[in-house]
Amino acid sequence: MAEAMQATVASLLKGIDRYNPENLQTLERYVAMQASENTYDLEANLAVLKLYQFNPSMYQTGVTATVLLKALTNLPNSDFILCKCLIETGRLGEEPVAKVLKLAEFLETAHFQDFWLALMEDPDLLIGILGFEDSIRKFVCHVVASTYQTIRKDKLRILLGNISDAQTSQWISKYGWREQQDGYVFVTTQDENIKTKNITEKISFDSVAAIMASGR
Amino acid sequence: MKEGKRVIAHCTQPIGDMAGTWANETEDNYGYYQYGDYDMSHTGDPRQDMEYERHYASQSYIVPEVIKNFLLHFQQVIKEQNLVEIQNNYENGFNKLTDRFFKTSAWPSAKVIAPIVGNEERFLILYNELFFRHVYARVSSGPSLDQRFDSYYNYCSLFNYILNAEGPVPLELPDQWLWDIIDEFIYQFQAFSIFRHKSSNKKTEDDIELLRTNPKIWNVHSVLNVLHSLVEKSNINKQLEVYTSGGDPDSVAGEFGQHSLYKMLGYFSLVGLLRLHSLLGDYYQALKVLENIDFNKKSLYSRVPACQITTFYYVGFAYMMMRRYQDAIRTLSNILLYIQRTKTMFQNRTQLYDQISKMNDKMYTLLSICLVLHPMRIDESVHSHLREKYQEKMNRMQKGEMAEFEACFAFACPKFLSPVPPNYDLMGANAPQHKEPFQLQLLVFKEEVEQQIQVPTIRSYLKLYTTLPIAKLAAFMDMSDDELCTHLMCFKHKMKNLVWIKGTSGLEGEFQSASEVDFYIDKDMIHIADTKVARRYGDFFIRQFHKFDEIMRSLKAT
Repeated sequence: MAEAMQATVASLLKGIDRYNPENLQTLERYVAMQASENTYDLEANLAVLKLYQFNPSMYQTGVTATVLLKALTNLPNSDFILCKCLIETGRLGEEPVAKVLKLAEFLETAHFQDFWLALMEDPDLLIGILGFEDSIRKFVCHVVASTYQTIRKDKLRILLGNISDAQTSQWISKYGWREQQDGYVFVTTQDENIKTKNITEKISFDSVAAIMASGR
Repeated sequence: MKEGKRVIAHCTQPIGDMAGTWANETEDNYGYYQYGDYDMSHTGDPRQDMEYERHYASQSYIVPEVIKNFLLHFQQVIKEQNLVEIQNNYENGFNKLTDRFFKTSAWPSAKVIAPIVGNEERFLILYNELFFRHVYARVSSGPSLDQRFDSYYNYCSLFNYILNAEGPVPLELPDQWLWDIIDEFIYQFQAFSIFRHKSSNKKTEDDIELLRTNPKIWNVHSVLNVLHSLVEKSNINKQLEVYTSGGDPDSVAGEFGQHSLYKMLGYFSLVGLLRLHSLLGDYYQALKVLENIDFNKKSLYSRVPACQITTFYYVGFAYMMMRRYQDAIRTLSNILLYIQRTKTMFQNRTQLYDQISKMNDKMYTLLSICLVLHPMRIDESVHSHLREKYQEKMNRMQKGEMAEFEACFAFACPKFLSPVPPNYDLMGANAPQHKEPFQLQLLVFKEEVEQQIQVPTIRSYLKLYTTLPIAKLAAFMDMSDDELCTHLMCFKHKMKNLVWIKGTSGLEGEFQSASEVDFYIDKDMIHIADTKVARRYGDFFIRQFHKFDEIMRSLKAT
């Protein structure tokens, strides 16, 4: 459904029509659809926030919170910042938006454990948002993959939200990582990508050609 | 004033129509042409009115002969479409006479000069464009509310003339002027938005009443509409697409887009939209409108330096806000290098020179913020200027002083604005409403910086080692091993930026970490990779060679 909607919405966002407040309802419906069907359309969601910015009386906290939560599912991209920049300062303190901001801070600073704890305290926050946790786990795996060559399986399990050992193994095999005998998970050979670079000067022939010509 | 007003009033209607058929239907106050009953020549303030009359009543103000001649000549060359002479009058003539006669006072109003130029509507609109721009820039008291309104109507007339013609209008203007029109149009919108939000004692009760009853003037929808209409009329996006793929833009330009006036206005409107979206905090749209511009490459569209600089400034700023530091650094150092090389060209054009110098300082400040957050190698000459002028600021930011980050941001950021009218009833209350949009962007920026405030400290430790046990670094940082690992992951996340690789869209890219210091964790050990840069001599010698060669040649010539 959301996919069919995408084309319709894209046509609503062309040119000056993007600012038409009459489209707001359709766009808000589309936000809800993205949540329930686990799809994502940043541009459409930003258009919603922009319409709120232009028409403050039409603002809806619930929709904004959904847009922000959906932006989190697209980490490590900085979508969340893009959304935040369009929301009035006064609105940022309102619930549930304030809670989502707190979650975002945990994720942005890699405080994954705190993130899962905060989420447990407010399970209602995620009602109607399909696949949210797994999207976050993808992001956790992304950060782990860029930080670790080997990581303790138990630690990884906690970072992924205190999931079961079997589930952890599923994520490990999903990314092609390897469980070792010693309780560590081998993530990837980092030393191939991360090594000391020596930048030495290279002088091209072109840059000295002119000098040589003038020295004749 | 009557005549001028009539011209303006009947021209304004169509742009209001276009401004959104939908807007008119949904809300009554979206209409753009209900200002008829408002007499524009009176401010309601008797003292001000008297001054106005005294200054502008044609019988008391005699236009000096030299001004008359200038205007007639200007009108003539525009009629003849002599571009070289138009440019000369625009860039030199007008400014010279300004310095001589109107250093801090307004030029004669259009009403006064109308008889001189035979009431030619088009010339009067163009003249008014210059007239109001000069009022904004030079007149010490700044524009009055009336002038702000009148200038808006004049832009409406100008754009209606250009956009609502059946065929392309027979007018060409120098690129610089066309850029200035778009640039000034947005500037005045920005100035107006800030003005109406400001609770200053300069605004009288009547002013506030006028603002309240005229919400359509300088409305964000009309401004967006003008820019979008110019983009569409010129087919500029299609043209750019074809241009980048090596084709002939004229093949898709259409009837209007083939004309330089439309083509250039279309292009400049894209840059105008970049700016407008940035001012509203919409960085995604800001970069999105430039989708078809390959601004990493010199093109025939990039001949106006002020436009180039504006483009790169806003793109660089958007990248910084989006945490794409590498792209921001590349964008900013590119343009700073360009300014460094071309600066002498503008030295005799004072206003432009001042403007560019100001942008230059702002962009160096942005660059220093980005380099503190994401250290990497940049062009040597830009780097040496940075070391010379910004080292102290950078040191303070490196030490994690938020106040310095804040000061740099406040100095270098665009003037953010709110797209909606303020709550006039709360005027003068404690919270200055015009600061709101700035506060929001500052907040977002500060939160981002706070999230990575530990990164420079960790980096400074890492730099000293090639391998370092987690426990040891944790002890240095005075935190638990687990806590440190969290910070290390945060380091990695923040330093892995989306980086533009190819194509014209500035939004695309892939994740890279190119920061100076990189590392990975293997069991309990941190392995560190540093970037070592050998000193560069070649560049220095080559430059010296060239210098001596120059000296030798000039010696021989004498």
